[in-house]
Amino acid sequence: MKRLFSILAAIAVSLGPVHASVDEALSFALEAAQPYIKEGFTVREDYWGGDMAVKQPKAITHQLFKGNEYWFWIGTDEKGAKVSVHIYDSDGNLCEVESKQKAQMAMVRVIPKRTGTYYLIVEIEKSKAERTHWGMAYGFR
Amino acid sequence: MKTTTFLALASLCVSALAQDPPKQIDVTKLPKETRVVEDVIVPVPSEIFGVLDKLGKPNWVAVQRPLKKVAKPFGEPAQQALYLGTVIAEGFIAVEAGDAKEVKNIGNSVLSLSTELGVRKAVIARANAIINAADAGKWADVRRELDGALSEVKDALMLLKSADLAHLIALGGWIRGTEALCEVVARDYSRDGADLLHQPVLVEHFDSKLKNLKSRAKKHPLVPKAQKSLKEIRPLIGLADGAEISAKSVKEIGGIVAALVKEIQSK
Repeated sequence: MKRLFSILAAIAVSLGPVHASVDEALSFALEAAQPYIKEGFTVREDYWGGDMAVKQPKAITHQLFKGNEYWFWIGTDEKGAKVSVHIYDSDGNLCEVESKQKAQMAMVRVIPKRTGTYYLIVEIEKSKAERTHWGMAYGFR
Repeated sequence: MKTTTFLALASLCVSALAQDPPKQIDVTKLPKETRVVEDVIVPVPSEIFGVLDKLGKPNWVAVQRPLKKVAKPFGEPAQQALYLGTVIAEGFIAVEAGDAKEVKNIGNSVLSLSTELGVRKAVIARANAIINAADAGKWADVRRELDGALSEVKDALMLLKSADLAHLIALGGWIRGTEALCEVVARDYSRDGADLLHQPVLVEHFDSKLKNLKSRAKKHPLVPKAQKSLKEIRPLIGLADGAEISAKSVKEIGGIVAALVKEIQSK
């Protein structure tokens, strides 16, 4: 699993279709982000992605700051696949204020009540593929 | 709560997460398996500066430590990397201060220091964009380009199999950013402002990266000094989310990181 999408993109030359798919997965995430960019969200240029089996969620630890508002967007290139993203605070409380799920993409909004550690849980809920590519981006304002 | 604890629990809750995520997860039930995407996402500086903008209008000019001229590399790569991190952080402060001349200086300094680290090609477009945006007074663009420069230098170093230096750049930026944040908060203390220092997961992250340095960077004298500083900071930043960070603690943290920045920037 690579942290930075740009690294994934760079090694895509050698791995071809695998990382190209992560690229496509990310394009769905960024498509989901478009309306929010117009609302003033700054999209971070680092991206996260890889591949996952169905119903094998992964967790991402994140430092969030009270005073900011965040959107996290996740996408997949697999047609008919369903992805999800949810966010919890350090006490394990679900803390998102809004979440949406569409074809091949999902998103969640959080307004942190306090500065600290948060956990994103990303998952492929449904997919025909054994391993499904995903890409995640986030924005803040 | 330990990260692994939560992650493990999350993997237990697959079925619940799939449809309707649970409102709360019981962290006392700990399965063995965890699946981590990575240890932690380190926020970009803009995330913190954005909050500070909302809290008031700090005297950034007083917080600035202008380079006055283009920074030249010195010391071993480990110090160069830490230094580059502090210079990029200084760029954010210069943006807050509206100091176009200094921002341009920093853009050129980023280029100079990146060249020595072998990643000039990766950062040249960013450095030029920083300079052009500063000339045009487009501060939001400068911020975005500084965020991007930090990422691209780190990415380029990763590709060169110099992950250690990439981590040191991030650490240098965090240290100088924390110093500036402490100074701003100490000048006009507010609980919300001090709360921004509550970053235990980042302290843990950087400490872990330092412990796991593999190259000769690990032997650089600044590394144990940074580890000592992180150890001293840890109890001061509020161990639990929501814990109050006092004005005294803010000053103490500021003193610790200021001393470290001074060492990083000393030949």
